[in-house]
Amino acid sequence: MTKPAVFVENLTCSYAGKRALDGVSLTIPTGASFSLLGPNGAGKTTLINILCTLQGADSGIAMVAGVDVARHPTQARNSIGVVFQDSSLDDRLSAWENLEFHGLVYGMPARKRRQRIDAVLDLVELSDWRETVVRSFSGGMRRRLEIARALLHEPALLFLDEPTVGLDAQTRQRIWAYLDQLRRERDLTVFTTTHYIEEVEGSDQVCILDGGRIVAEGSPQSLKDEYARSWLHVVPLDAAARDTIAAAVPDCRELSHGRLAIPLAGADKVDAFLGQFGSLLAETRYEPPSLESVFLSLTGRELRDRMADRHAIEQAAGRRAGRR
Amino acid sequence: MSRILPLLRGVYGIWLREILRATRDRGQMIGGVSRPLVWLLIMGVGLNPYFRGEVFGEVRYVVPYTYLQFLFPAVIVLNIMYTSIQFAVSVIWDREFGFLREVLVSPMPRPLILLGKVLGGSTAATLHGAIVLILARFADVTLTPDQVVMALGAMFALSFGLTCFGVLLASRIRSFEGFGVFSNTIILPLYFTSSSIFPLDPALSRTQMAATYPEWLVFMVQINPITYAVDLLRGILINFNQFPPAYGPAVIAAMAIGFFLLALVDFGRSK
Repeated sequence: MTKPAVFVENLTCSYAGKRALDGVSLTIPTGASFSLLGPNGAGKTTLINILCTLQGADSGIAMVAGVDVARHPTQARNSIGVVFQDSSLDDRLSAWENLEFHGLVYGMPARKRRQRIDAVLDLVELSDWRETVVRSFSGGMRRRLEIARALLHEPALLFLDEPTVGLDAQTRQRIWAYLDQLRRERDLTVFTTTHYIEEVEGSDQVCILDGGRIVAEGSPQSLKDEYARSWLHVVPLDAAARDTIAAAVPDCRELSHGRLAIPLAGADKVDAFLGQFGSLLAETRYEPPSLESVFLSLTGRELRDRMADRHAIEQAAGRRAGRR
Repeated sequence: MSRILPLLRGVYGIWLREILRATRDRGQMIGGVSRPLVWLLIMGVGLNPYFRGEVFGEVRYVVPYTYLQFLFPAVIVLNIMYTSIQFAVSVIWDREFGFLREVLVSPMPRPLILLGKVLGGSTAATLHGAIVLILARFADVTLTPDQVVMALGAMFALSFGLTCFGVLLASRIRSFEGFGVFSNTIILPLYFTSSSIFPLDPALSRTQMAATYPEWLVFMVQINPITYAVDLLRGILINFNQFPPAYGPAVIAAMAIGFFLLALVDFGRSK
């Protein structure tokens, strides 16, 4: 039996009296693409930090590539590549110098360094920019360079914490194309956290984390089959109308901007609901089963609510970039 | 050997990055050149005629050096102090902009990460000190090659200790903004009370010294470790010591080892 790429059992971690992770267990087979989905504060970053040996856990076991991260951190670090949420490039150095630094720190001999640097620069199509100082790179180029850097020492496992935040759709697609290619070519395991639900649809295994607990795990299709319901998103005419509907449909969910989500068991429920409350509504929209609705069913919240947070994160990142 | 070589590469990589960054930092380079020029050409040349071995109009003894020569080793120390303590900015930068994590997830052991960084910072500081050495002729200091080698060694040891001190500061400072003010309030008092710009007249007895200088100032000079660093460099460069010659190397070595160990404890704690 081959060792799983990631093995986590009963992992618990808390700080400042708050449980960031509460008995998380999960297994990711080698070569899989795994997506971790969850709102901010769900414990995604804590889990990645523990697996990357940046943070210790209170209890439980965490292993990457068959190595216990708490007991043999150095060995574990050799087999992982990490792309952090915020850029961790040195923007006063050129693309080549950033990669050379990484190769030196990972103890690679000179010949291998040269070979691998050429290979990864080719992979992310930055060969023409090797002597350019990173400061003048666009957001997408930086991300690609970071992915190249994380792959330089040929890790068995690649961690990507929100790798496509702040990038345009075209760049996002290209980055996923690289990663898929790599996975096919060399059995790389890819561990991603993301807010973009459409990126999750393509992965082998999805895990939904909320409040430090895993609330669901499986392939995107199996999650949809199991948890997804159809929803009717409605905008009531006024607060009174809203209260009437909320009282009549106890299992409805409140969304942002006074909207309500009405769970639908079958198609006939739509007619029944509209017949009863149609006059109280300003707008209705039918939501077919999707991972988005899986998330809503499981956590009672919309993933899109976090758009505001993401906006804040991007603004903060922009501010920081400007401060350099 | 196969285990040590990759680690040496890592230390070299971290060292090299600090050097590259330091040489690309125009502001620091300009400061490193203009500071000694200002001190030697304006302060040194200006005060040179007033500097005699005279107390209350009465010549006590003939000083074997001019004020420029007396000031010269202190300006080296000043340049090293600025660059080393400014090194804290590099540490804060790494922490705030996430570069630190890139190193922390690498297989390099924490103490070697710190060592590489501190060696890089102290090399840069030593280079800034060496810029002053180039100005030796203008201060009427004639140097032999072995004096230069000894001076560079002492300068590197001093840089190492002060750079570690910079790392200690960095872990206590949250923002860049406060650092400029902060560094000036540390560097300048330390510099002025290191007997850098005025001698504690060795010809005076302790009671006479207290009559010339207030007791508290004499005390400040004597407890300031920078005093002994300046004294060591004076011994090497102009062959003049105000204190027993063994004090300098002892104080510099104690600073280098002590601050490095403290920085190690700090660095291990911060993640």
